[in-house]
Amino acid sequence: MASISEEDFRLFIDSIKRYFSVTTQQEPQITSAYLATENIEGHEFNGIVSFSGSYNGHVMVSMPAKLLRELLLLQHETNISDDNLLDAVGEIANTLAGNARKQLGSSLNISVPIKLQGRISADQGARTRTRKRPFVVTLKWNHQTALVCIDLERSH
Amino acid sequence: MRLLIVDDSNMIRSRISKVVLGGKLPGIAIVGLAHNGEEALRIARVTKPDVVTMDLTMPEMDGLECTALLIKLLPKTSIIVVSALDDKSTAIRALKLGARGFVAKPFTDEELQMALLDVMEK
Repeated sequence: MASISEEDFRLFIDSIKRYFSVTTQQEPQITSAYLATENIEGHEFNGIVSFSGSYNGHVMVSMPAKLLRELLLLQHETNISDDNLLDAVGEIANTLAGNARKQLGSSLNISVPIKLQGRISADQGARTRTRKRPFVVTLKWNHQTALVCIDLERSH
Repeated sequence: MRLLIVDDSNMIRSRISKVVLGGKLPGIAIVGLAHNGEEALRIARVTKPDVVTMDLTMPEMDGLECTALLIKLLPKTSIIVVSALDDKSTAIRALKLGARGFVAKPFTDEELQMALLDVMEK
């Protein structure tokens, strides 16, 4: 499998910033972006979207409950149950993955999001790693930290 | 005007409802909320919506397949695709199947209001 470029990864950073800016009018601070070597520890609420077609792999969005609650409240959502927090993190993963098609091409297929509650590592969430070193973006928004793990390779 | 909201996310269904009921779109009544294409078709047969907001990536039946079937069932219904799949070819495919508008996720309240006003005026 061919490697993907820095520019391909950058599009996810831009998508993350755009998501928060558009939905909350408050851009997140990107606190780090790196190629992981160790296991990647996530937060309590996780949304995972798998890629197939021209690329293989997945994107995992991992966020704490407090961040998701604040995100929903800013959108005037009053239902901040755990079910709705899981739904929200799945929808964020879906949006980041879907937006990637603009740059990665329409032969990139994306799955419906899988939503998992509980602290899991990115490897547990995805079952298997596609890259030896997935790309990890950590961010801070409204004093809360979150992470996005992009484990993606070109299929051909 | 009767609106059916189709999206597998509670957050998005609720968000669209709040935009519609926020007072800037008088004359729109929400007649149903569906979380996949199959449910949307079942609700549409009964409620006969004038406008549908349609997500694309959904379980059971996706939004493109549902758009094609809905247009056959209710040719006068206006479908606005609301999706994170914002690449050009997806938008063209949706429009060719009969969709009349496209709102890319993430969206602002104003973007959704504009798209709804646009189909209301047609």
